[in-house]
Amino acid sequence: MKKISIISIVLIPILAILASSALYTVNETQVAIKLRLGEVVSIEDEPGLKFKTPFVNNVVFFDQRIQTLDSASESFLTVEKKNVIVDSYVKWRIVDVWKFYISTGGTMASANLRLAQNNQDALRSEFSKRTIREVVSDQREAIMANVKSKLKSIAESEYGIEVVDVRIKRIELSPEVRNSVYLRMETERKGLANKLRSEGSEEAEKIQAFAEKERTIILANAYRDSEKVRGEGDAESASNYAEAYNQDAGFYSFYRSLESYRKSFGQSGDILVLSPDSEFFRHFSPSFD
Amino acid sequence: MANNQNPWGNNNQTPPELDEVIKDFKNKFNSAFGGNSSSNSSGSTNAGKSAKGGAKYLIILAVLVWLLSGIYIVDPAERGVVLRFGAFQEITTQGPHWRLPYPIEQEYKVNVEQIRAAEIGFRNVQNSSYGGNVSSESLMLTKDENMVDVNLAVQYKIVDAQAYLFNVLQPELTLSHVVQSVIRQVVGDNTMDFILTTGREQVAQDVKSGAQVLLNEYKTGLVITAVTMQDAQPPIQVKDSFDDVVKAREDQQRYINEATAYKNDILPKARGASQRIMAEAEAYRSQVTSKSEGESDRFKQILAEYLKAPEVTRERLYRETLEEVLGTTNKVVVDGNANSLMYLPIDQLVNSSRTATTSSGQSSSQSQSSQSSSGTSILRSREVR
Repeated sequence: MKKISIISIVLIPILAILASSALYTVNETQVAIKLRLGEVVSIEDEPGLKFKTPFVNNVVFFDQRIQTLDSASESFLTVEKKNVIVDSYVKWRIVDVWKFYISTGGTMASANLRLAQNNQDALRSEFSKRTIREVVSDQREAIMANVKSKLKSIAESEYGIEVVDVRIKRIELSPEVRNSVYLRMETERKGLANKLRSEGSEEAEKIQAFAEKERTIILANAYRDSEKVRGEGDAESASNYAEAYNQDAGFYSFYRSLESYRKSFGQSGDILVLSPDSEFFRHFSPSFD
Repeated sequence: MANNQNPWGNNNQTPPELDEVIKDFKNKFNSAFGGNSSSNSSGSTNAGKSAKGGAKYLIILAVLVWLLSGIYIVDPAERGVVLRFGAFQEITTQGPHWRLPYPIEQEYKVNVEQIRAAEIGFRNVQNSSYGGNVSSESLMLTKDENMVDVNLAVQYKIVDAQAYLFNVLQPELTLSHVVQSVIRQVVGDNTMDFILTTGREQVAQDVKSGAQVLLNEYKTGLVITAVTMQDAQPPIQVKDSFDDVVKAREDQQRYINEATAYKNDILPKARGASQRIMAEAEAYRSQVTSKSEGESDRFKQILAEYLKAPEVTRERLYRETLEEVLGTTNKVVVDGNANSLMYLPIDQLVNSSRTATTSSGQSSSQSQSSQSSSGTSILRSREVR
C-alpha cells in the first residue's frame, strides 16, 4: 500500500504532463491542423479531445467563426467622375483550412489584408460603372451581390475562405461635393419656404377677397330688398293718396296748398314780402273799405 | 461518477485507489477530529502513519474541491452552455448544475432575456467617455442625393446562446455593422422628405427586418427586438434653412388664420348691416303707408265737411292758414303798384329778426325812407315772441 501510494504520487504528475502534451482539445469555435514535422497529418474540424504524439506532432488552431473584415474608408470614382467615400465590410469564414494555412501563413491579419485588396478592386470596378444615384440607391444591392460573387470565387479558390457576405456600410460624398450638396439643399429649402409663404398669402388673399365679395353681395342684396320694400310703401301710400284726393281734385289742390304754406313759411325767421292787394289783405287796406 | 475516468484517460488505476483513499479518509477524519483532544499519546505513536495519511487527506481534499468546482448556478434569465473538451455538450436552464470540472468541461453563461442596446450614429453620454453625435455613422445619403443625419437605437437580445457563442466572432460588432449597412441602404432607397417626416416608423421597421435577415444569415443567435429612430435631421450645415421651412409653414398657417379672422369679422357685420337696412326699409314702408292712410282719411273727412259748405269752409281754411303762417314769420308788405325800384336790406332784416331791440329802430327808419319815396308802402317789422 505504501508502494502504491508513492507510485501514484510520482506517476500522477508524469502522466499529467504526458497527457497535456499528447492531448489537445479543439474548441467548438476552432478547427485544427495536425502537422508531423511540417507535414499535414490530419485536419480536425470536429470539436473535442484529440490525440497527438508528443514532440512529433504539432497542432495549429484556426478560428472558424465568421470573421469581419471592416475595410478602411476608400474613395472611389463614379462614372461622372465624382469621388465617393465608401466603407464596407466582408464577413468571411475559413472553410479550407489547409489552403488557408498555406496561402495566408495562417494569420487572420494577412487574410484580411488580401481580402481587403480584392474587395477594393472589386468595389472600384463596380463603382466606376455607375452614377452616384445608382450607387446610393438603385443598384446598391446589385453592387454588393457582384462584389460578393467576385470575391467569393477568388477567396474560395485562393485562400480557402468562404465569403459569407460583402456589404457596403457607408457611401459618402467627398467634402467638396458635400458642400455643393449642402448649397443645393439650402436653395431647395429656400424655394420651399418661399412657396409655403406665398401659398399662405395666396390663400389669405383669397379668403379676404371672397369675404369682401360676400360682404358686398350681402349689402347689395339688402339694398335691393330694402328698396323694394320702400317702393311698396311708396306705392301703397300713393294709392291711398290718389284714392282720397281723386274725390275732389280742386279741393285737394287748395287744401294741399294751405298745407304747404304752413309747412314752408311756418318757421320763425322767415321773411315774407307781401303785396297789400293780395286776397289776405282784402280788408286790410283802407282803400278797399 | 463514471465520467470521472475521462480526465485521466489511460490511467485506469485511479478508481480502485480512490475507493481506498476514501475509506482511509474516513478513518483519518475520525481520528483527527474525534481523538484529537482525548489522546496526545496516540498521536505521537502514530506520527509516521498520520503524516502519510495527511498526504492522502490532502489529495482527497484536492479531488473533492476539484469536483466541487464543477458546480455552477444558472440564473433564470440565463442559459448555461456546457462544452466538453471544447465540444458542445448541452444547454442548461435555470438552477444549480454540476458539470465535470475543468479541464474536462466548461460552462458559459449567456443571458438570453436581457435586452441589450446598440447605438448607431450617436453615443449615449452615460455609456461612454465621449458622448454626442458620431457624424461618420450618422450622416447618410438619401435617394434624392440629399444628406440626413440619422441616429438609431437598436435593442436586441440573444436567443440562441449556442449560435451566439460559436458562430461569429464579435457578434455585437457584427450587429453594429449590419445595422449601419442596412440603415444606409434603407435611407438610400428613400427620399429625404419621407425620412424626415412621415417615414420614420417605416424606416425603422425596414431596418429591423433587413438587419434581422442578415443576422440570421450569419447565424449570430441575436434577435433585434426594436429599432427606434432617435433622431432624423438634416445636417447641421443646412439646419437653418430647414428650420426656416418650418417657420414658413407656420407663417403660411398664420396668414390663413389672419385672413379667416378678417372674414369672420366682416361677414357677420355685413349680415348685421343688411338686417338693419331691411328693418329700416320696413319701418319706412310702415311709416309712409300709415302716414298716407292717416292723411287720406283726414282729407276725406274734411272733404265731407267742405262739400256741405264749400264757400265758407274754403274761406275759413284759407284765413286760418294765413293767420298761422303770418303769425309766426317776419313780414314785409310791399305795394305792388309802385314802380320805383325798392331797396330791401334782406340780410339786415334777417339779422334784425335775431337781435330783437336794435333792429326794430333801424327797420323803422328804413320804412320811413321808403315811405317817403312811394308814400303807400308800409314796412313793418315785428318781433316774434
